[in-house]
Amino acid sequence: MQSDMRSWILVSVSALAMSLLSGYAASQTVSNTLASPESFSSIADTEVRSAAIFTELGKVLTHPRCVNCHPAGDRPRQTDERRLHQPPVERGPDGHGTETMRCSICHQNANFDPGRVPGHPEWHIAPREMAWEGKTLAEICAQIKDPARNGGRKAEDLIHHIGTDTLVGWAWHPGFGRSAAPGTQKEAGALVDAWVKTGAACPTR
Amino acid sequence: MQPSRREFVKWVTASGIALSLSRLGSAEEVGFAARETLPGRQNWNPAANGAGRIDGVAKVTGAKLYASDFRAADLPGWPATTSHAILVRAPDATRVYTGMDLARLTGALKPSVVVTAADLEKIGTRVPEYYTGDLLCPVGKTPLYMGQPVALLMFEQFDAFDQARLALRDGTFVKFGEATGPVAGPNYGAFRYTRVAGPTPEAPDVYSPVKNGWVSPGRFQNTERPIWARLPIPTGRAYVEAATHGEQIRAELAATNPALLMLDREFETQSVDPMFLEPESGLAWYDTGAKNLELVLGVQSPYENAEALAYMLANARGPFKPAHIKTLFAYMGGGFGGRDHTPFPFYVALAAIFLPGRPVRLAQDRYQQFQGGIKRHAFKMRTRIGVDRATGKISGFAADHVLDGGGLANFSANVASVGAIAAIGIYDIPKVDITTVALHSRGVTAGSMRGYGTLQTMTALETLIDEAAAALSLDPIEFRRRNALKTGGKTLTGSTYGVSVRTPEILDKLVNHPIWQQRTQEKTRGQPDGIVVGTGVACVTKPYGSGADCSQGTVEIDPQGRIAIHGDHVEMGTGLGTALANRVATHLGGVADEVTVHQVDTYGALALVTSGNSYTMNQATQDAVAKNPRWVPAISSATFASNGAHVGTQAAAEAARVIFRFGLWPAALELWGIAPTHPTARQWEAARWKDGQLVMPGLTPLALPALAAKAHARNFVTGAMAHAFSRWGWSRATFPVAGRTWTADIDALAVRRGGGKFARLDRTSVKFPPTDNNRLGNIYTANCATLVRVEIVRATGALRIAKAYSVFECGKALVPEVVLGQAQGGFAMGVGYALLETLPPYEGGPGNGQWNLGQYLVARGSDLPLHDLEIEVLPPVTPDEPPKGIAEVVMIPVVPALLNAIHDATGRRFQSLPVSQAMLKEALK
Amino acid sequence: MTTLALTINGRAHGPREVRDDLTMNDFLREYLGMTGTKFGCGAAQCLSCAVIVDNPDGTSYTSPTCIVSAASFDGKAIRTVEGHAKNGELSALQKAFIDHFAFQCGYCTAGFLNEAQVLLERLAKKQVARAELEKTIAEALDGHLCRCTGYIKYHEAVRDVILADPKRYLV
Repeated sequence: MQSDMRSWILVSVSALAMSLLSGYAASQTVSNTLASPESFSSIADTEVRSAAIFTELGKVLTHPRCVNCHPAGDRPRQTDERRLHQPPVERGPDGHGTETMRCSICHQNANFDPGRVPGHPEWHIAPREMAWEGKTLAEICAQIKDPARNGGRKAEDLIHHIGTDTLVGWAWHPGFGRSAAPGTQKEAGALVDAWVKTGAACPTR
Repeated sequence: MQPSRREFVKWVTASGIALSLSRLGSAEEVGFAARETLPGRQNWNPAANGAGRIDGVAKVTGAKLYASDFRAADLPGWPATTSHAILVRAPDATRVYTGMDLARLTGALKPSVVVTAADLEKIGTRVPEYYTGDLLCPVGKTPLYMGQPVALLMFEQFDAFDQARLALRDGTFVKFGEATGPVAGPNYGAFRYTRVAGPTPEAPDVYSPVKNGWVSPGRFQNTERPIWARLPIPTGRAYVEAATHGEQIRAELAATNPALLMLDREFETQSVDPMFLEPESGLAWYDTGAKNLELVLGVQSPYENAEALAYMLANARGPFKPAHIKTLFAYMGGGFGGRDHTPFPFYVALAAIFLPGRPVRLAQDRYQQFQGGIKRHAFKMRTRIGVDRATGKISGFAADHVLDGGGLANFSANVASVGAIAAIGIYDIPKVDITTVALHSRGVTAGSMRGYGTLQTMTALETLIDEAAAALSLDPIEFRRRNALKTGGKTLTGSTYGVSVRTPEILDKLVNHPIWQQRTQEKTRGQPDGIVVGTGVACVTKPYGSGADCSQGTVEIDPQGRIAIHGDHVEMGTGLGTALANRVATHLGGVADEVTVHQVDTYGALALVTSGNSYTMNQATQDAVAKNPRWVPAISSATFASNGAHVGTQAAAEAARVIFRFGLWPAALELWGIAPTHPTARQWEAARWKDGQLVMPGLTPLALPALAAKAHARNFVTGAMAHAFSRWGWSRATFPVAGRTWTADIDALAVRRGGGKFARLDRTSVKFPPTDNNRLGNIYTANCATLVRVEIVRATGALRIAKAYSVFECGKALVPEVVLGQAQGGFAMGVGYALLETLPPYEGGPGNGQWNLGQYLVARGSDLPLHDLEIEVLPPVTPDEPPKGIAEVVMIPVVPALLNAIHDATGRRFQSLPVSQAMLKEALK
Repeated sequence: MTTLALTINGRAHGPREVRDDLTMNDFLREYLGMTGTKFGCGAAQCLSCAVIVDNPDGTSYTSPTCIVSAASFDGKAIRTVEGHAKNGELSALQKAFIDHFAFQCGYCTAGFLNEAQVLLERLAKKQVARAELEKTIAEALDGHLCRCTGYIKYHEAVRDVILADPKRYLV
C-alpha cells in the first residue's frame, strides 16, 4: 500500500508538472476554487454583496465548460482553447444537431473517456437567447434573470437548475482532457442561493 | 512455409543476413501475396475497359489490403495470436530523460517485456547513417527531439495493451530531471547555388553549377549556421569562386539604381503533417527456430527499408540476429512522402526481436502519428529580386533559405537543395545566387512531403512575382511571359530541360480563361454585399525524378492470354497498379488481371549487383564496373519525386515490348503464314492493338488469346523481367534475344520461353547515363498553373473559393481519371496548406503527443469549390511523349494563387502561411 | 464488463462479455477481424471508422466507432462495408465509386460508402428537389475526411447513382 501511495504522489506531482507542457490544461492563473457565500459577509451593502457573489459565480458561467455550449452563433465550441467544434456541427432545429449529425450519435449518455468524448443524456447547445459567448458578466446576469430569455425560470428555479441539474453538473466531471469548472456544483448552487437571497443584483460590468 | 510455385528468391546483404521476398501463397490459404495481387484471376477487372482501377473492387469491399488490416491470424504459417506493442515517445526535449514510472500498470496491465536503450546496447543494434540518432533515448540524456522514442512496451493480450494504452496516454509517466535546454546538433546540409549567364542565351554560362561544379554538395559546415561570405571561410577554391559571383549579384541588387526595381521580401512557411488517413503500423514475427524475421509494412521505400532493417540487426548478438528477414509490403492508406525513409519499421522489427516467437503489432494512433510522423519542413526565406524597369525583365535574384529539419536528418539536406534549385520557378534569370541551410532542432523530424521544398520556395516566388508585376504596372501574365524560360534555355543549375517546356501554352490558357478575363468585373460586383472579391494566378514548374531512379518489373502472359505484372514501385493511392496495367496493355493488347506492386526482390533471375553511390561515382569507376553484365548503378529506389508514372512503369513496359517482339509477334507471323524472312516480319512496330486484337494492314486481325497460345506452344518468349535505371536519362543496353539483338532503355533482362523458367540474358553492351549527369540537377519538369477567385466576407474574414482552374501537362497520361483525381486532390491539399494547416514547432506542438485532427485542420468538402474547380490537362506534344510526373506540381500553384487572390481582394500581401480567417478579418478591418 | 449481442450485416454476434472501455472500432477490428472499418483518427474527426446503424423503425444513421464503446451497441443492428455487396454483386454505390475513380488510397472509402448508402435510403423515403441535390450530398458527406481525392469524384459518384434513378430519389 505504501508504495502505491508513493507512486500515486509521484504521478500526481509530475502530472502537475507535465500539465504545463501538455498544452490543454486550464490556465494556471485562474483559481480552481469557488469562494463560499459566507466569505462575502464582510461586504455591508447588500446590493454590492449580491453583485460580488454573482461575480464569483461568473467564474463558473464563463468557464469553457459552460460557454462552449452557450455559443453566440449556431456552432458550439470545444476544449479549453474554446476552438470551434470539430467536426463542424450545427445547432439544427432543436439544438440537438442537424438531421445527419445528431449530437447524441457521438455524445452518448455519459463521458466515454477512452474516446475522450464527453456525454450526457441531454447533450445539446443552449438556445440562442441563452448565449453567453462574448457577453460581459453584467449582460449575462441580466439575461439569466430575464424569464423571456432564461426559459421562463423564476429565481428559485435558477438555484435548482445550476445547483442540481445533471447536464449543468457535467461541467464538474467533464472527462479526460478537459478542465473542470471551478469548485463543485454544490458550491455553485450555494452561491446562486445566496445571490437570489440578497436580491439578485447584477455587477455593473 | 509451403513451397511456392515461384522462385524463392534471396539475396545476402553485406551483413550476412539474407533478405528475401517470396511470392508465396499456396492455393489453399489466402496468403499475403494473393491478397495484394489485384484484381485476381477470379475477379472482375474494372481496368479491363478503362472502367476503374485494378484495386477498385478490393477497396470498395473492405478487403484486407493495408498493413494496418493484418493480424497474425491472417498470415498462413504464423502463430495465430497477435501481441501488441506501445512505442513510448518523449514529449519533452529540453530536460534529461530519467526513465519511466510504470507503477500505474498493475496486474494484468503489466507489460510482458519492456525494451529500453540499454537493451539495444546489450544486443548490439546499430542504425544506418541516414537515420543517425539514438533509436531509443537512453536514460540520462536529453532527448534529441520531441517525440523521440524511449521504450517499447509489449503486451501479449490485446485487452492488456488497450487498457495500458489508456492509462499511459497522458504521458506523465515519462520522467524528466534537470533542465538542460535542447540538444544542439550540426546542421544537416548547407549549399550555395550561383549562376551567371553568358551575354546571350546561346553563349556558355560565365559560371554555373553544371559548368563549374556544385559547391560543396553534401559537405556540411560544422557550425549551426554556415558563413556565406566570400572570406574568411572558404571550403576550397570552388566555393570562393561561387561566392565571389554570388556576392557580386547581391551587390548589384543592393545598389541604388533607378533603372531597377528591387524588392526585398521575407516569406515564412509552417510545419505541416502529411495526414495520410492510415496511421503507420506494422506486424512482425521472429521465428526463433528458423531464425526468420518476417514483417508486414506499408512504406514508400521498401527496398531501402528492408536493407536498413538488415543493417540494424547485422551485428546483433546471436539470438537477436535473424538469419533471414522477409518483408511483405502492403498497400498504403496515403503516403505523400511521409512514408518514405520513415524510421518506423525499425521499431516494428525491434518489437518482434524482443518478443521472440510471438507475432506483434505496433500501430500508432493519430496522436502518436502526429507525434512521430515525418513532417514538411518549415522554411524561412528572404528573397531579393531585381527587374529592369524598362524591359520588365528580371535581371537578378538572390535568396537565403533556412529550413527547420527537426530532430533527425532524414531528407533535410536534399529538400534544401531541391527547394533552392526550384526557387526561380518558370523564369529565365541570368544572375542567381541562393544559399540554403537545413538546421537540426528539437522539433519532430521533417522529411519528404509532396513538393519537397519547391512548394515553399515557389510560393514565395509567385507571390513576389505578383508584387513585382504590380509595382511595374505590368499585367501579371504578360510579366510572366516576358521572363519565362524558353525551350532549350538554361536553368538555375545551368542545365537544359530534357523534356517539353510548355509555359507559353499554359500562359495562353490562363489569359484566355473566363476567371482571368472576368477578374475586374467580378471584383466590383461583390462589393455591395460586404464581400470583397479577388482573383489570383500562379504558374510553376516542378521537376520530377531523383537522378537515381530505378525500375524493376516482370510481365508474364499465360497460354490463355492473361497477363501478370510485378513492379517494385508502390501503391499509396496514386494508381500505380492501373498505370502498369495500362502501359503494358499498349504493348500486349490486354489489361493485366494480376498486378502485384511493392515487389522489390522477385527479380532474382536478373542476379543484379551494385556498388558505390550512383550520385557521387566518377565516370572511370562506372565504366570499369559496368563491364560486369550484372552490375547496375542502383537496384531499387523509392516511389517519390512524382516518379510513379515515368519510372515505376518503365521496366514493366520494356518487358512487355520484349514479349511482344519475341513472343507475340513471331506467333502472329506464324498464324498469318508469313515467313521470318519476309519483309513484313520486320514491321512489328507498325502493328496496332484494337479491342484485344492485333491489327496489321491487309492481314486478318488476331486475338490475344490465340497469339498467347501459339507463343506458348512454340516456346516463344512469354515472360520478361527487366531492370531500368535513370540518371536524367535511361541506361540503354543491347541483349541477345532469340538469335537477334535487342536494344532498349533497360540495363538488365531475363526471359522465359513457353512455360519455362526465367533465364538471364547478359547484355552485350550498355551505355549508362554519364556520371556527369549528376551535375545537371533536375532536367525533367512539368508545368502547372492555377487561377482562383475568392470571396471574403469583410465582417468575419471567412473565405470562399468561388471558382478555380488548374491547367497542366503530363506527357502521356497512363490513366487519365487518376491524373484528374491527383489534380483535384492536389488542389485540396494546397487549400489546406494555404489556409488551414499549421503545427507549432516545439513546445505546444505535436511532439507533445496531444495533437489530433480537430486541432489540426485539413480541407473538408465544405472548404472546397466542389462544383467550381475546372481541371485541364494539355494533350501530349506527340502521341508517344513519355509520361511525366505530376503528383506534386498539381498542388503547388494553388497556394500562391490563393495568396495573390487574397491580395487582390484585400490589398494585403501576406508573407507567411497559413492565412487564417482571423488574419483576413484583421486585414479587412 | 457488459454483455454484447448485436447483428452485423444480418448475422448475429455474441452474446459475449466485453470491457466497458473497449471501443466499437477495436471490437470490429481486433475481436472480429473485420478490418474493412478503418481507424483514422480516434477522435470522430475523419469518419473512416463509421458504420451504419439500423433502427427498429426502419431509419438508419451512421455512427463513428472509434469514440463509442462496443457495449453501447448491445442490441443494435449495424452494417459495415463488408456487407454492402450481396452474393458477390456490388451495390450501385460500390460500382459507381469504382467507375468514377472516386477513391485513390481507399482508406476513407468504407466510411463514404456507409454515409452515401444511408443518404440514398433517406432520399428514397423523402425525396429531394433536383436543385437541392448537390447541397444535400455535400451536407451528408462533409463529416468525412479524405486526403487524396479532394472529394469531387465521390460527390459525382453519389450524384450519378441518384440521377440514374430519379423517380426513387428526386421530387
